[in-house]
Amino acid sequence: MGMKKILIFGYGHHGRHIANGLKEDGYVLTVVEQNESYCQQAQKDGFDCILIDMGEDAEILKLRLEQYDQIVCVMDDEHYNVFLTLSLNALMEGLNIVAISDSVHVTHKLRLAGAKRVIDMYEVSANRIHNILHRPIATELLKEFVTSKDGISFMEMEIPEGSFLHGKMSDEVNFGHYDVLLVGLVDFERHKGFEFVTAGHKHHLDAGDIIVCMGEVEKLRIFKKMIAKKDV
Amino acid sequence: MNELVLSFARKLHNSSSYREIKSFVRDLIRNDKNPYKKYFDLTIIFLIFTSIFILVYEVKEPVPHWMDTYDLYVVSVLFGLEYLMRIWVVNDLSEMVLEEYQDAKFLGKPFKITTPLKKGLKEKLYFMVTPAAIIDLLAIFPTYRPLRLFRVLKLLRYAKSINQFVEVLSNKRFELLTLLLLLLFIVFTAGIAIYVLEEKINPNINSLFDAFYWSLVTISTVGFGDIAPVTPEGRAISMVIIVSGIAMISFATSVIVSAFSEKLNEVKEHRTIERINKSDAFLIVCGYGQLAKMFLRKEGLSSEEYIILEKDPERVEAAKREGYNVIQEDASRTEVLKRFNTKNAKVTVLCLIADDIENIYITLTAKAISRKIKVITRANDSSMVKKLEYAGADHILLPHEVANNMIHIAITQPTMYKALHAVLTGKDVAQIYEIHVGMHEELVGADIASIEFTAYKLLFMGIHRNGEFLFNPPKETVLQPYDVLLVIGRQISLEHFRNMHKGVVSWG
Repeated sequence: MGMKKILIFGYGHHGRHIANGLKEDGYVLTVVEQNESYCQQAQKDGFDCILIDMGEDAEILKLRLEQYDQIVCVMDDEHYNVFLTLSLNALMEGLNIVAISDSVHVTHKLRLAGAKRVIDMYEVSANRIHNILHRPIATELLKEFVTSKDGISFMEMEIPEGSFLHGKMSDEVNFGHYDVLLVGLVDFERHKGFEFVTAGHKHHLDAGDIIVCMGEVEKLRIFKKMIAKKDV
Repeated sequence: MNELVLSFARKLHNSSSYREIKSFVRDLIRNDKNPYKKYFDLTIIFLIFTSIFILVYEVKEPVPHWMDTYDLYVVSVLFGLEYLMRIWVVNDLSEMVLEEYQDAKFLGKPFKITTPLKKGLKEKLYFMVTPAAIIDLLAIFPTYRPLRLFRVLKLLRYAKSINQFVEVLSNKRFELLTLLLLLLFIVFTAGIAIYVLEEKINPNINSLFDAFYWSLVTISTVGFGDIAPVTPEGRAISMVIIVSGIAMISFATSVIVSAFSEKLNEVKEHRTIERINKSDAFLIVCGYGQLAKMFLRKEGLSSEEYIILEKDPERVEAAKREGYNVIQEDASRTEVLKRFNTKNAKVTVLCLIADDIENIYITLTAKAISRKIKVITRANDSSMVKKLEYAGADHILLPHEVANNMIHIAITQPTMYKALHAVLTGKDVAQIYEIHVGMHEELVGADIASIEFTAYKLLFMGIHRNGEFLFNPPKETVLQPYDVLLVIGRQISLEHFRNMHKGVVSWG
């Protein structure tokens, strides 16, 4: 997998944190802003920042949207996020847009406007509270797993062509041997969605399937390299 | 004398069982949250009802001897005991005596036993002249039958609505007292007037009492008609007092109604709090904003499980329209949080207000009342996290950060995002669960290989032990008491596991 190219609209509350997080992970980003001081801040933080007027379609088109794998709409003003999502979709089909929302209504509008994924800030927070109340330990650990850069984490990996996993059944492989746990996978033979291993189905692993594993980051990296090999 | 009382007081002070019994009785009588109070009250209520039954039965039929004995001795003795107990727990005489003695010794002045005894007995006397205590006292004596009616009045103590009624009316004491004085004045003057004018002419008016009786019956607009004025002067007086009577009744009604409408909200809130205090565990949600709305919609809690505290009347109205359990209060005030049963129930405070400073304040207030109160708070600014931690918050949640993390995952690991989203939103596919081993005999001491997680279709992730997480430990690892096992799986798998290992607690 080559590193995705990402375009972020907005360098405010959210944009700034997300951009920096992605940069740490080694993604190539471009920031778009309409507020000059935010744009300067982005440049100071070491990003390419393009200052445009979001209302002008011509200026948006100049960004050459087709070169980006992922578009992120995280402007501080939710109205702009909806408007922008709508303009982007009108200008070009098939864009992969993730947007942030702060209420049920905005979420609904963003979906209508064509955002692939909408993250409702209060919904995810409400879920977090629910989880803290009902399983405090698991929630704390999960948060660590998800955000940690060293310790234990999740990693998704595509089974490459010619991997030793290719052609094996999911329960045949002893993942524990590599100090990783198979959590779930996307098996393109069966259906498109993600399935947990605990769903009880046996899966035929093929090249192109995506597996999600859990383990220490180092072990995961080693495992990821290893599955490219034919034999172990 | 001094020495004798003093040594007796010392003896009582040093006897732990005496103090224990006394504090138990005090709690039983006074603390509504005492688990045994219910039974105590029910016993008294039962005694009252049986006694009243006998009283009513007696009117027409002769009562059997045993009933009479029961009424005369059992009920009376028990009521007497109750009365004595109530007086007993008013204050601690022995402590007062000792305190006085110590103060006297400290100041070097002569110790007089009478001072503390006087003070203590005065307090007890004050208690004895309260209406409730007088009723209790009168209810004890069964020999004079009409006195037994006081036993009915004893029920007043258990009728909360009557207490509230009296409380509401006592707020309008001034208006009602004015009205009463006016009423007395009119009854008095009209009564004297009719007595003077008609005593000789009207055969029905024979005394001043008759005259006052007539006057009150007329002014109240009841008008029995057994006594009626016969002279034109008398009738003129009647007309005047009838008109003033109507005016007075409407005035009294409006005073009572306004007292109630002013107090109605408070009474309702009081009821709401009383009801929730009966639960063993409940949530106090502070602030009704976006996050609270979303949370409540997700949780679908029943009304005994949560209460919303909101300052802003408009938001309170909005929450009421949605049918939520809400009261208009400022959660940062100690008195407000103290009204909840924080002693016996598991209370969790959720600070979901958009203002961080207020959240910190509520956290501090809650933790100051009891460390046992669990506080989950929201913070909008990451600089607040330290302060909230310092204030004692158990969990701190940054909506912005949570959202940012989700976006980050959605971009970097789209497949994971779906899985995580499913786990977090509790979709049926799978969940992360905690299995609390506790002291379960079957599990403690067993090794991981012997628990066939795969047979239950559960994915075993690791053990949380003493604050550390052991990821995917080797198969020989032996479970220890109070380990928490983290598994992923569907709910039915977990339930199956739990059924096979009865007594294991699981969360999720």
